[in-house]
Amino acid sequence: MTAGAVCQAPPSALRLVRLHAASRRLPAAVALLAACAAGLRAALFWHWDSYGALQLPLIFEAGCASVIAVTAGSPFGDPERATGRWLPFLRLGAAAALTALAVGALTAAGAGAHLAGGFLDVLRNVAGLTGIGLLCAVALGGPLAWTGPLAYLLVSVYGLYTDWHPPTLSTPLIWPARPPHDLGGALCAAVVFAAGLIAITVRGAREPDGG
Amino acid sequence: MTATAPVTPGPRPAVRRPGMTIPGPARLLRLELRHNAMLWLLPVPLALFWYNGYHEIMALPPMWNLRAMTLQNRLLLDLVIPVTGAAAWMGSREGRRNIADLVVGTARPRWARQLATWAATTAWAEVACLACVAVVYVMTARQASWGGPLWWPVAVSAAGVPALTAIGFAAGAWFPGRFVTPLVTIAVFFGLGFGTQAASGDHSYWQISPLTAGAFDIGAAPGVATFYHYLPDLSIAQVMFTAGITLAVLGALGASAARSGPRLRWLTAVITAAGLAAAGTAVALAGTGRLDPHGMIVIPALHDAASNQPVRYAPACSRTPIPVCVHPAFAVFLPAMTTAVGPELTEVAGLPGAPARISQVAEVYQQEPQNGITSLAGVPGGSAFILTDQVPGEPGATSAEFAADLEDTLGVKLIRDVILGGNASAAAARPSQAQLAVIAASVRPGAVWLGPSAADADAPEVSGRPLLALSSPAARAAHRFSALPPAAKHAWLAQHLAALQAGQISPAQLP
Repeated sequence: MTAGAVCQAPPSALRLVRLHAASRRLPAAVALLAACAAGLRAALFWHWDSYGALQLPLIFEAGCASVIAVTAGSPFGDPERATGRWLPFLRLGAAAALTALAVGALTAAGAGAHLAGGFLDVLRNVAGLTGIGLLCAVALGGPLAWTGPLAYLLVSVYGLYTDWHPPTLSTPLIWPARPPHDLGGALCAAVVFAAGLIAITVRGAREPDGG
Repeated sequence: MTATAPVTPGPRPAVRRPGMTIPGPARLLRLELRHNAMLWLLPVPLALFWYNGYHEIMALPPMWNLRAMTLQNRLLLDLVIPVTGAAAWMGSREGRRNIADLVVGTARPRWARQLATWAATTAWAEVACLACVAVVYVMTARQASWGGPLWWPVAVSAAGVPALTAIGFAAGAWFPGRFVTPLVTIAVFFGLGFGTQAASGDHSYWQISPLTAGAFDIGAAPGVATFYHYLPDLSIAQVMFTAGITLAVLGALGASAARSGPRLRWLTAVITAAGLAAAGTAVALAGTGRLDPHGMIVIPALHDAASNQPVRYAPACSRTPIPVCVHPAFAVFLPAMTTAVGPELTEVAGLPGAPARISQVAEVYQQEPQNGITSLAGVPGGSAFILTDQVPGEPGATSAEFAADLEDTLGVKLIRDVILGGNASAAAARPSQAQLAVIAASVRPGAVWLGPSAADADAPEVSGRPLLALSSPAARAAHRFSALPPAAKHAWLAQHLAALQAGQISPAQLP
């Protein structure tokens, strides 16, 4: 046995990861995250007013979070739960990897352009929205996991709107309306993301009752 | 021998009486109504509207025009996510459950089944839409001092709902993947919410967006659709646009599902073409719009000249020494107005040059390049005034700012017109120190720093510099005079106004 062979992951583990990714449509999700980033990049070429410039990234962040949340749904149900010892880790890894990919892609899309809020804003919003989506996946199932991030999107857009039209919504629970360096907003988003990751790791997405 | 469980009576089979047969399409629709995702999602749009739109709308002054136009601007945006999402979810049902082949053999064509599902989704979405409208309108009806509900903004919102469901449903039916529902929802939200960003001026095609109520940069203003009728021109174009989009999408859906022969294909093609023609015509009509002087968009091809007539109303007047009369829709602001300018009214009432009554008049708007709007705020004569758009309850407007604005405009104008004679005479252009002292003493501190408006060329040149030099005899006289109660000022002015206007009184002679 060579040292190189020892360092290589076992083929069965790789196959497991590949099958898990295929069952969750991760390749399609990655393509859609890239499409969201490309859409943001294209939109940033446009001239937006103050409202639009602030609210625009949030739309694409919510789109990425919805895509990530929807991938949490399993097409197999109980048989997979009964046989998959590594399933929680696969779920955790998939959600975390997609979130990181989304943050990276959106940040890269804003490079060299005026991306309101910058990297910190993208990181906080994508993480928080994804956390909401993962919690929705646990509660409602993967196919309906998009409802949470999209409903929260509307709430957040209104929160940003109140920055111009008082009374301003200053609660950190609506973190997209807070400045990027705001600690309260970042903590709330981090807590929601952590809760979503833990929930999806431990319980997985709810099985649909029949679609 | 076997034990037998007691037989419990099951539900009695439904007995269908003769003559009560429900037609097939209606039965299908009833089934879809009972098994529709939008039914379960109904609390979501209601909660979103309560959170987003309702609070803002109800914080506005109780004026029908303000609330109805703001409702149009908010309602559809609050509905778009749950409504489009539910429609896409329902549209993807057959594909998602892999039963498309299973239902091919049913009696109804696929398009008919899809239309029933779409209609049920739309019906529940309309329930949500109209429930929101009903709450706002019932509350406004209990609070408004004048006028009645504006139905065109409601019609635009209600007509927008089928368009949203049609787009969502068609996307779900065509691409029944797990990602389609959130993505089409995001795309429609983006298109609807950001579609007005490209709008520029009163000729913009983008004002066809059903969220656009009135002209850009005016929107829902207190003076719009108050003195003059609400113009339905833009609303008609918007309804035509959303109806056309609905028809086109549903027709295209039928064309993609039509395997039942050439007749259905022709029908769907005609529907699609008609829808596209209606939508295209509506966009073209919106591009011919122009801002009318009363703040609304006129589309010549849709305009009814009878709408140009001013609205008849009995003004609401204050019981002050000089009655202040406003449009009855503004009656709620009358107490604040009389409190703000009450001292000035008492001070100048009955004096030569003072108006016998002050009446509110309509603001006149003019379109500038891009999205600029000029409001011709100056009105000739001392008996007319324009109330600011920033009435209490408007976003960012407070009662204190409203009162200060009134003092700075109406209060200053009243005092200035009486003290300086209110005309274009040379004396009015060069006020004496005593005249300036009386003016400064009679209005809110700081108000005299305000310059005259461009339209008020007769005003003395007091802008850009203090009216009175600090510690000057005139400033000390103004300080003394300002300490007098309004009645005492009035009494002194009644005796000395002619001499004051003639420049025969020095600051030292002021009480």
